[in-house]
Amino acid sequence: MREFHPLVKRWLDGELSADQLGAELAAELAEARALLAAVDRAPVAFDPKLDQRVMAAVRNRPATRWGRAVRWIGEAHELRLRVRPWAVAALAAAATLVLMFAPARQSRAPVAVAQAPESVYVKFVLYAPGAHQVSVAGTFNGWDAHATPLAPAGASGVWAATLSLPAGQHLYSFVVDGRRWVADPTAPGVDDGFGRRNSILAVTARGARVS
Amino acid sequence: MNHAIALLLSVATAGPLLAQGPAADLLQGKLPADAAAQVRAIAAQATARALPATPLVEKALEGAAKGVAPARIVAAVQALADQLGSAAGAIHDAGVAIPDSASVEAGAFALNAGLDVRQIRALAQAAGIAGQRATALRVAGTLAALGVPPKQTVDLVTRSLDSTTDLNTLSGQVQAGMAHGQSAAAAAAAIGHGRPTTANPHRPATPRGGSRKP
Repeated sequence: MREFHPLVKRWLDGELSADQLGAELAAELAEARALLAAVDRAPVAFDPKLDQRVMAAVRNRPATRWGRAVRWIGEAHELRLRVRPWAVAALAAAATLVLMFAPARQSRAPVAVAQAPESVYVKFVLYAPGAHQVSVAGTFNGWDAHATPLAPAGASGVWAATLSLPAGQHLYSFVVDGRRWVADPTAPGVDDGFGRRNSILAVTARGARVS
Repeated sequence: MNHAIALLLSVATAGPLLAQGPAADLLQGKLPADAAAQVRAIAAQATARALPATPLVEKALEGAAKGVAPARIVAAVQALADQLGSAAGAIHDAGVAIPDSASVEAGAFALNAGLDVRQIRALAQAAGIAGQRATALRVAGTLAALGVPPKQTVDLVTRSLDSTTDLNTLSGQVQAGMAHGQSAAAAAAAIGHGRPTTANPHRPATPRGGSRKP
């Protein structure tokens, strides 16, 4: 290939004008001009079907297994099913029987179904004149006789404590002076299995109740 | 096939392991070692039978806190396990394939309060859905604990299930009637007949005994 003078190259690149080239490069400049004139500057027209041919070639390229699977899922496939009419009738009859004899769902509105685990403040009060220490123990504090002390209300003999308890049923008992277990006389009670009674307290989202 | 066997084995062994888990750990230091081991064994057996184990551990803790002799604690835990089993059986007989823990615990509570297995089954059948079943059994137990005769308790709760009555209000109404001088049976009968439970308005509405209900 012809190697032009650097100044001629700059002319070809449009950086210099022909006047800026010396006379000694005139021959080379003429040769470069002839070369430029030989270039076909006619507009290029692409084949209208070129796009389709390119896309067809892309589709036909070897796909990965995963790509083929995805393409298969997305494409429509013809499904042929051959059935016997008596089999279809038997299937329909079986479905009808299942629907007829399946246990119906209860439509009764629930009263206290799956309440959110809300907490409610509950005040425990015991009249225990002469007591030096009173606490309450139950299922809500692991039956810890020391965990939840009641405070005396002056010298009246009334002891009280307010607790935040989760909704649900609780069993409890008062503990007087750390050793005497006393059931709440105002609450219903059940046998504790040890010869004493536990008091019953149920806490609902609307507040404490005795059930 | 091997997977199925492994699954069955894991299900069979998971229960006893759970019964020896965090809940059973609470027994450490609260009971002598041999009594704690017996309680853990009872809890493991209960779990293997799909019964709730937590009430059993709580019962042991309660006995320890009350200073009860270890042998009596173990006996009480075993008695509670038996009640849980009876309650679960009654609920199962009522048509519930797998009784839920809340219903089983409530059924055991009702048994302890004086209802029998047939009455538990009847209430479980009448209640239908799980949440209402547990509530019905718990309320029935409380009514029985208040002194309402078991048969009357079952009738009242069953009728309330069929109406729009809030089950949670029943025992409060009975207590209100008792605070006004009625017997538990009379107060419950008044609810059943739609009458107010304050039959003796001249009695003060203060609770009996020396303390107030929280």
